[in-house]
Amino acid sequence: MAADPLDALWLPVVPVDTRPEFAAALLRRITAAGGTPAAGGTPAAGGTSAAPGTPAAEGRPRPAGNRDNPTVRYFVHDLDVAVAFYRQRLGFEEELRSAPGFAMLYGGGLRLLLSVSGLAGAGRPLPDGTVPAAGGSNRIALQVPDLTAAVRELREGGVRIRADVSQGVAVRQALIEDPSGNLVELYEPAAGYHERS
Amino acid sequence: MSTVSVRYIVDDVDAAIAFYRDRLGFREQMHPDPAFAMLTHGDLRLVLVAPVPADHPGGGSRPMPDGTRQRPGGWNRFMLQVPDLAAAAGELRAAGVRFRNEIVTGVGVRQVMIEDPSGNPVELFEPLRDEARLERR
Repeated sequence: MAADPLDALWLPVVPVDTRPEFAAALLRRITAAGGTPAAGGTPAAGGTSAAPGTPAAEGRPRPAGNRDNPTVRYFVHDLDVAVAFYRQRLGFEEELRSAPGFAMLYGGGLRLLLSVSGLAGAGRPLPDGTVPAAGGSNRIALQVPDLTAAVRELREGGVRIRADVSQGVAVRQALIEDPSGNLVELYEPAAGYHERS
Repeated sequence: MSTVSVRYIVDDVDAAIAFYRDRLGFREQMHPDPAFAMLTHGDLRLVLVAPVPADHPGGGSRPMPDGTRQRPGGWNRFMLQVPDLAAAAGELRAAGVRFRNEIVTGVGVRQVMIEDPSGNPVELFEPLRDEARLERR
C-alpha cells in the first residue's frame, strides 16, 4: 500500500508556526514520505538518494512518516541554547517547544525530547528531592558520512570534543558534548563494513 | 537500516540483555563480545556496552581521554510507549524491576521511570492525547 503523504504530518499535531524554517522542515518531512509531486527525481527507490548519514537525513524513505520513531529524552540547562545546538550543529529540526521547559526535536529518525532540569514536566524534582540532571555516559549515537570532517567542523564551531576520533571494531567514533554536558556519539562505519538492514 | 542508536553503559551485558529482552521485548541482534551487545525494539537500536580498558578493541566504552570511566546511570534515557501503563508497571513491579518514581500523569502522557539492572533509567509512557502517540491506531 502506498504511503499516505499526510503521514508525514501525523505526529505530532504541531501548533501553527509561522517561521519559514518551520515550513521548510515540514516540507522536507512531506518530501521524505514521498508526498510531493515529482520534483524531478525518482521517488527514492531503495532510499539511496538521501545523503545517508547526515544526522538530519533519512537513510530511507519512511513509509509511514514518523511512526514509531525512537524517542530519547535529554536533560539540559538552557532550552534555547540546547535547541540551537542540536539544530545548528547536528541538523535537527524543531517540532515543538512548550516553554519554558520542553522542546521536541527530530533528526535522522530520532525524536529527541529536551527537558530542562528543575522545571515542570519531566525535569521536576522527584518526591525525594532529586533533580533530574544532564550528563552521564549514556548517549545517542548518530551516523555521519565523514567523521573526520564532521569533528573538525564541530571543533571549529566551538563544540567541545570529549573524545576525539578513535577506531573501534566496526566503526570509528568520537564523542562530543552538547552545551549542557550531554554526550553525543558520532560514528562512521569502518571501510568495508556495511550495516545489516 | 536505522542510522540512530542509543548506547547504554552497563555493568553486566548478559544481565542487561536478559532484562531488555524478557522485560521490555527487545530482540538480541548480536552479542559478539562479553562487553558488547546490540538489541533492537522497533526502530530503536540499543547498544549495550560494559566499561573496557583503554586498549580494548571495542571503542565505545573505553575511558575518556582524561581517564574518566564511563558508567551506567544518569537521567538521559530512551522512552518506550506502552498501551496500558498501569498494567505494564504492575507486571514489571511483580517481576522485581526497580522503579525511580510512581506513575506521573502529565499533559499528554502518563509516564514512569524504571531502572535496568545497572541502574540506567528507561521511561515508559502511555499517550493520553493523539499528538503524544507514536503509533497510529
